[in-house]
Amino acid sequence: MKRWFTLLAATVLLAACSGKTTLVDDLPAIYPDYIGVTIPAGIAPLNFNLPEEYTRVYVRVSGSLGGEIRSRGRLASFPIRKWHRLTRQNAGGTLHFTVLGRKDGVWTQWRDFILYVSDLPLEDYGVTYRKIAPGYTTYSTIGIYQRDIHTFREEPIIESTLTPGQCMNCHTANATDPSQFLFHLRGGHGATLIQQDGHREWVTTKTDSTLGNVAYCNWHPGGRWFAGSINPVRQCFWTGDQRTIEVFDLASDLVIMDMQDHSLIVDPRLTTKDHLESSPAFTPDGKTLYFCQAKAYEVPRYVDSIRYDLMRVPFNPETGALGEIETVIPASQDSLSISFPRPSYDGRWLMYNQADFGVFPISHKEADLWLMDLSTGETRPLDEVNSPFSESFHNWSSSSRWFLFSSRREDGLYVQVYIASIDENGHCTKPFVLPQKNPRKLYHGTLYSYNAPDFTKSRVDFDTHGVYREVFSDERIQATVKP
Amino acid sequence: MNRLYRILTSSLLGAAVFAFWMWLFPQDLSYQEQNQLFLFTWDYLGQRLALPGGPADWLSEFLVQFFYSRTAGALIMALLAILLQRLVWRAAKTSSKRDERSLYVLSFIPSLLMLVYQGDVEVLLSYPVALILAVALCPAMTGARWNRLWLIPLGWWLTGPVILVPILLSCIRSRRWEDLIILFYTGLVFFAGYRLLAAQYPARDAFFGLNYYRLVESLPVLQIVIPAITLLTIWLCGLEIRLSRPLVPGIVTFIALALGTFASVRMTYDKDTHETLAYDWLIRHERYADVITRAEKYQPHNPVSACSVNFCLFMNGQLDARLTEFYQCGTEGLVLPSIRDNLSDITSGELLWMMGMPNLTLQYFFDVQESIQNGRKSGRFLSRIAECNIVNGWYDRAEKYLDILSQSLFYRKWARSRKAMIQDESLVAADPVYAYIRSVRFQDDFVTFYDGLDLMMAILYNQNKNNFMAAQYYTVWQRLKQTEAGQ
Repeated sequence: MKRWFTLLAATVLLAACSGKTTLVDDLPAIYPDYIGVTIPAGIAPLNFNLPEEYTRVYVRVSGSLGGEIRSRGRLASFPIRKWHRLTRQNAGGTLHFTVLGRKDGVWTQWRDFILYVSDLPLEDYGVTYRKIAPGYTTYSTIGIYQRDIHTFREEPIIESTLTPGQCMNCHTANATDPSQFLFHLRGGHGATLIQQDGHREWVTTKTDSTLGNVAYCNWHPGGRWFAGSINPVRQCFWTGDQRTIEVFDLASDLVIMDMQDHSLIVDPRLTTKDHLESSPAFTPDGKTLYFCQAKAYEVPRYVDSIRYDLMRVPFNPETGALGEIETVIPASQDSLSISFPRPSYDGRWLMYNQADFGVFPISHKEADLWLMDLSTGETRPLDEVNSPFSESFHNWSSSSRWFLFSSRREDGLYVQVYIASIDENGHCTKPFVLPQKNPRKLYHGTLYSYNAPDFTKSRVDFDTHGVYREVFSDERIQATVKP
Repeated sequence: MNRLYRILTSSLLGAAVFAFWMWLFPQDLSYQEQNQLFLFTWDYLGQRLALPGGPADWLSEFLVQFFYSRTAGALIMALLAILLQRLVWRAAKTSSKRDERSLYVLSFIPSLLMLVYQGDVEVLLSYPVALILAVALCPAMTGARWNRLWLIPLGWWLTGPVILVPILLSCIRSRRWEDLIILFYTGLVFFAGYRLLAAQYPARDAFFGLNYYRLVESLPVLQIVIPAITLLTIWLCGLEIRLSRPLVPGIVTFIALALGTFASVRMTYDKDTHETLAYDWLIRHERYADVITRAEKYQPHNPVSACSVNFCLFMNGQLDARLTEFYQCGTEGLVLPSIRDNLSDITSGELLWMMGMPNLTLQYFFDVQESIQNGRKSGRFLSRIAECNIVNGWYDRAEKYLDILSQSLFYRKWARSRKAMIQDESLVAADPVYAYIRSVRFQDDFVTFYDGLDLMMAILYNQNKNNFMAAQYYTVWQRLKQTEAGQ
């Protein structure tokens, strides 16, 4: 009865809207492209826009397993509770979208489309990311934010206004658990902030024996260690009309920090002058450390000759001892370069980035995501999620059944966060961009990239009170080198 | 003190302030305008209102956008000066029925002090606007008694910490026991408001004003002194002193204030800074000959000025011939390396654009915009960034910038015309500027850096012999390099 009433109401509405509705045998040009994507139940509503010339939108969403919601207005915007109820009711099923748009007083109805609601839950609280202008050598405001992926709530963890003159590196939690996280603050008062169970400390990880402070870090699952690469980053610029900037390391080394006594393991094999090491990542069992290594060249002159291989080394979580280094993928032999290996937290997969050269895939249009099956060693490009533009900075959800990554597919420059699921066979679904209340207004109107995203299992609790004083007091715990 | 006298003196102040900005320092207005981009959107309003002092900030940015026109800018500055003076006089009026106040001339002091303070080009207009709003609240606050409990948080949100002026004035005037509670309550409001609205700012910034000054980690003394003197002035003007012949001491004080202001302006307005700003303003309006004329009289000895004057010499066909007549500082005076501030690289970016290096122009303008320390964007810089993207054929990005500019008042028309252009590639190809830059730009893709800039000029000239600018700059670069080596 209810369904009949709804259909009747929709028909009356349509009849009232216009005497004539043009039917088009095409899919609507909705923004963002949510057609055919797979979403988790309980995600924030996938609001979308029609092209600007359509001043009114009418959308009816019906679930294959029941339920229906509608939206009408300037954009398709769904109430959060009703959306959650509909998606939970249809987990494992599909949502069927009927879209009408009005332009110049005439309504157009396009071909209906569907999206899939996965039966794989995504129970993490949200995502964290850094918002930064995708520029060159300078930034004005920069901040690390957290976003509840079940609603549209975004809040700052820390913004550069609180620590003027200091640049922030990526926020790194331990396997999405925000009770242990770190990020490095660069600048005159730079330090690595490490917060564990609400207690924070500021550590200087640069020692007399190392190149500088750690930049790209990854926690050991046990929480005692984290590996970090030291990257004195520089930029140079391209002259053509295909790309603008090249980011490279003048040198780079890899160290492991023991949080028990703030001492660094400096292995001479990972701190050689003729090689560059970067992007460390522990496996979930904590017994292996993946990283990338390349032969060093004179930069920026031969910047396009620097190509990283995927390496791994056994790690003893009790002593911090490193075993024999092994080349896993000799990408440089194929004139390719690997960066950002990320083992899934269930130990099944390893996702990494592959580009023509370099270690900063975000500025490489050809950079794509690849997947390695850790049980067989087989690798393949993730064609289901890759685009002609750069994909990079991927991370896994705590369940390892969802992953996110940043992509420049929108306009070639501004980075957005995409989420996709992966099944037990390694097949991925079409990704969807992080939903927004008014997607075009936000994504098209922003001058910031959503950089270095990661899932967070629960809300990050970070009290900014006292941060300014702590940063500018320069009271630091000085890391030492393990003998 | 009759009404006509007050109107005349206020008008005189307005005329003086108008002339000051219109003819003496119009470059300051341009500098303010190019370091913000006011957008007519709810989001923009929402971002401003989210902070204490945000409404005053929003209002000031609304006004500053009109600085795009020098006359409008000077007029606004004049009106604000008059408004502050009139409000100070109005705030000084006590509850006494007899208005026997003769210290009218003192009401000019805050406006004149503000003029002196604005010699620092990083002072934002939101500071005088906030002070004006705060002074306007004085009468309401004075008679409010317990209504101050809601007026104080509202006023703090509207204006920021200058709300202390009416709060303290009300306490000074009433001098009751409850004023102690009000002062304690003010402290609580400031602290709670800080934690609630401004937790992502250092406490010092929140307590001294988030949007009064462009540079972070700076607290100019006058930012504290001016509200204090305003308070003092209101109190003095409110004294019921009846002079038998108010005109004579009034005129004497007036002359003293004018002379004091003149001397203070001479002391506080840094000549080199304002001259450098003037070059930038003139170049923005393509008045290259005027830059040379100014430089013939006085030229600051800094690389930015050298770069600006050399560029104008080139535009007037005099670079090679008159190079040595002006201050030089080596090759940096031709094209500056990337410098992290919001002024130095503008001229370098402009000349690299004309020479056929849109990617370097993009870098320079992106960095210049990102160097605006209070995080604001710029209509001028964003326009050039959009153009660099158009030349590169990156229309999606260009469209983003153009759509943002379309939400402004003075860049809207241009942005819409460019947006229409990028819908049709043939229109872009037919545009004389874009077509020229595409014709002279690098044909190959390779990495570049500042140290190799002269080689890049040579490459540009070799691949297109019409690129006279690249040839000329290359030649002069070698001359300057030899001079440097000789030294």
